[in-house]
Amino acid sequence: MVTVRDGEGAEGAATVGAQAKSGDRAGQAMLSSHSALAVLRLSGGQALLYAVLLILLIVTFVPIVYLIALSLKDNGQIYGRFWSMPDPYRWENFALGSLAIWRAVLNSILTSGSSTAATVVLASLSGYVFARHRFPGKELIYTGILALLMIPPILTLIPAYVLILNMGLENTYWALILPWTSGGQVFALLLCRSFFATLPEEFFDAARIDGASELQSFARIAVPLSAPILVTVAVVRLVTTYNQFMWPLVVISSPKKQVVAVALTQFTSEIGVTDLGPQMAGYILASIPLIVLFSFGMRHYVRGLTAGGLKA
Amino acid sequence: MSGARAAGHRVPFKRAAVAIALAAAFLLVVALPIAAQSPEGLLWKREWASRVQAVAISEDGGLIAVGSRDNSLRMFDGSGEQLWLFEAENSILGVDMSPDGQWLAVASEDRFVYLLDGKGNQLWNYKAARPMNNAAVARDGSLVAATSDDLSVYVFDQGGNLLWQEELGIGVRAVDVYGSGEKARVVLGSDDGLITIYNREGRDLLQAWLDYSVVSVSVTPNGARILAGAGDGSAILLNGANGNQIWSFKTEDTVKSVSLASDGSIALVGSEDGSAYLLDRDGLLTHQFRQDSEVLSVALASDGKRLSIGTVSGAARIYDRAAALSGAARSSAQRQRTVFAVFGVIALLVLAAVWAARNTAAGQQVWQRSAAGPLGVLQIMWSARLSYILILPTLALLLTFNYYPAFSGLYHAFTEWSPGVRTEWVGLSNFHSLTENRFFLSGFRNAAILVVVSVAKTMTMPLLVAEFIFNLRNRFSQYWFRTLFVVPIVLPAVVEILVWNNIYDPAIGLLNETLKLVGLEELTRVWYGDASVALGSIIFIGVPWVNAFALLIFYGGLISISNEIIDASLVDGASTWRRFWSIDLPLLMGQVKLLLILNFINAVQTFELVFLTTGGGPGAATYTPALELYYKAMRMDRMGIASAIGMILFMIILAGTIVNMRFVSSSTEYEA
Repeated sequence: MVTVRDGEGAEGAATVGAQAKSGDRAGQAMLSSHSALAVLRLSGGQALLYAVLLILLIVTFVPIVYLIALSLKDNGQIYGRFWSMPDPYRWENFALGSLAIWRAVLNSILTSGSSTAATVVLASLSGYVFARHRFPGKELIYTGILALLMIPPILTLIPAYVLILNMGLENTYWALILPWTSGGQVFALLLCRSFFATLPEEFFDAARIDGASELQSFARIAVPLSAPILVTVAVVRLVTTYNQFMWPLVVISSPKKQVVAVALTQFTSEIGVTDLGPQMAGYILASIPLIVLFSFGMRHYVRGLTAGGLKA
Repeated sequence: MSGARAAGHRVPFKRAAVAIALAAAFLLVVALPIAAQSPEGLLWKREWASRVQAVAISEDGGLIAVGSRDNSLRMFDGSGEQLWLFEAENSILGVDMSPDGQWLAVASEDRFVYLLDGKGNQLWNYKAARPMNNAAVARDGSLVAATSDDLSVYVFDQGGNLLWQEELGIGVRAVDVYGSGEKARVVLGSDDGLITIYNREGRDLLQAWLDYSVVSVSVTPNGARILAGAGDGSAILLNGANGNQIWSFKTEDTVKSVSLASDGSIALVGSEDGSAYLLDRDGLLTHQFRQDSEVLSVALASDGKRLSIGTVSGAARIYDRAAALSGAARSSAQRQRTVFAVFGVIALLVLAAVWAARNTAAGQQVWQRSAAGPLGVLQIMWSARLSYILILPTLALLLTFNYYPAFSGLYHAFTEWSPGVRTEWVGLSNFHSLTENRFFLSGFRNAAILVVVSVAKTMTMPLLVAEFIFNLRNRFSQYWFRTLFVVPIVLPAVVEILVWNNIYDPAIGLLNETLKLVGLEELTRVWYGDASVALGSIIFIGVPWVNAFALLIFYGGLISISNEIIDASLVDGASTWRRFWSIDLPLLMGQVKLLLILNFINAVQTFELVFLTTGGGPGAATYTPALELYYKAMRMDRMGIASAIGMILFMIILAGTIVNMRFVSSSTEYEA
């Protein structure tokens, strides 16, 4: 959505720009009535826009710059020369930080990744069934699933924890993977169903005439055509689960199995690192999976959240 | 449902309706006794105008001594008949009875400790400089120990001769005695958390440290187990041989009184949170005796069969343990009956629908329209079996991990819930206790503030920045500004909070350092530790609040506004300001609505933001309901109350969502 409209928007902006430029050159043209004044005011306005945006941008980046600066200092540099640049650069902080969190990052990637994969498989299958099949009770079941969108996680937190306890799954990866897989399906199913419903019926008719089974037409036609929406689902779920804090905090007690969001907060106590530098380096390293993910999946992420939210 | 539709069509419907109504009424009657439950296991109770500050019970539960603030000590027999009355000069603060009921040590605010015989006759007394606050007597009456507000402990022999006295210099009110004759030992707990065992001569044999002030102790007759009640609300069982901790149990307020059965297998813990807790040998809760006010004193018979509880409201209650436990079991049976009744009613409704479908004209029409009879539906379902199989994993997961917990949460909000131990229906009492929980109430206020602020943050800065970027004329700058503003999204949410923790760090944080640099040193402070700015500091996190996600959504909305409309407004000479209000904003209502609801839902459940910064403090200044839910469930094992909080938040979110959909969508239609 963003991509397509991006073009339009840029075009629109370009048109306005062209108008302004022509006004600038000719001294009249489109805004002829009070041209000189308008030009002055507009360019003044533009300068103001730039100024405000730049200031906001700088303030937005202060914590990030601060984080990076601290990550390259040792405690002596931080406490002694707070305002000076790191000198020398303590790159070994990153080595120390990575030692402390690599395991948690792996745990996160493992649990987020496997639950996301399971969500995508299950949601695309059932989304396909809900979009293309007819069977008694379909709408009833579908409404029943959508009703779950109204259930906030805070309501199910404690009962789900007790359920995990009763199943004997506390402090295992399953305690994260199963509920995340399940919880992600609702939104994923919503996206998949509405996407599958837009695929032309003719494709599937043709496949059926050629003797394809239901599963074959799902795997050979529906899935390849819906790759974009499946990627969207995957990106949203990966980001969401990677950022999860409260649920792992409740169900995982062993530091060895803890995911990165919680592990970062237990940095000092669990790993015995008291220097700020390695800690900050750890924070940055913990962001790497998200940086990788966002560098190609940003537009999928926004599209997924928007679509899920607007349709809900 | 279909029965109602068919009502006018046929007469037999009436007969069936009557039958179904009768059946439903029967089911309700079965379920009804739940409402009329009597307090379980209560043998008898006595109530006075003044608080009951001390209770003691004999070995077989046949004698119960009750000391209260009206200066009287009353002795009752097992059936609640008063045997005798002893009056001191001032209120009774402590009483202990030997297992056979022949010796009673009484501590009173009149500064005396008294030793009484089984008939209530005073044998001797001793006066300290300040009120005596507790007393204990050996099983053969050969040793009496008393603690006093003068920060000392006094130990006497049977004849009232002072054997030794020690000035501890710190508050002491926990005392008990075990053993007999020369082997009698005194167990003492003081406000510095120290538990000491002294022999008859006053030599200390063992010391154990607890983390909080020791308010009460109880020891088994052989000294093998010591139960201590602490000021932080925990009851801790210690091994009397080495002082090692065996288990601990947490209540919600100071544990005023503890009592152990003679073999240490049963413990009774009375807390100012208004309950007495009966625990088993592993410290697991077996029953909770809810009282109408703070529990000041508890006593458990040596055989553990009977127990008595004294409260602030002036009530002394005597319970039979076995009856209390079976009463709890009975109430769980009643609950099962309720479940049975509910399912029964549902089954009846289904039956009614089936009957209506078969026997009324309208019902038959519906039936025939939907399928060719019951067999037809089954056939269709069978032929669609692949569809069901394919959605089965999804459904199974959702039912297990989403539906079941949701209903479980709603149900357990009305129970006292100790998973694996016991679940007891308590009606609305969880909600009632929440109305008096200052952390929850403060959390509510904070959540309201956070909701408003969060919505305000998202509706202003991202929209403003989106408009500004949109109004830039240079395509290149547009692209770069948009990209750069979105970059911070790559930081995990937790990292942002942790970095801000560092910015607020009082010792070496960016904020305080900056203030020092510009000469505003007097403004520096412990940002999270100061109740007046703590919440403000939390809200300030993430300044200037250009939320990347909201920005992208608003920007996406702006560039999707068709160029014709904007051109037209330019031709009409509309100012940018005018265009913003009359074109952009109305066309962005969809985005506004989406962000409004997402922010509302998230803000109501605020947890990390507080948990990772202030942890709710200082005091209750930054509590949120979700935080209180977490603490109640994970630190106090109060799953029932936690579920009640969850249910309240759910209701609020539901209401907010509905209002948002109605209100905002209708205004969109109006504007557009």
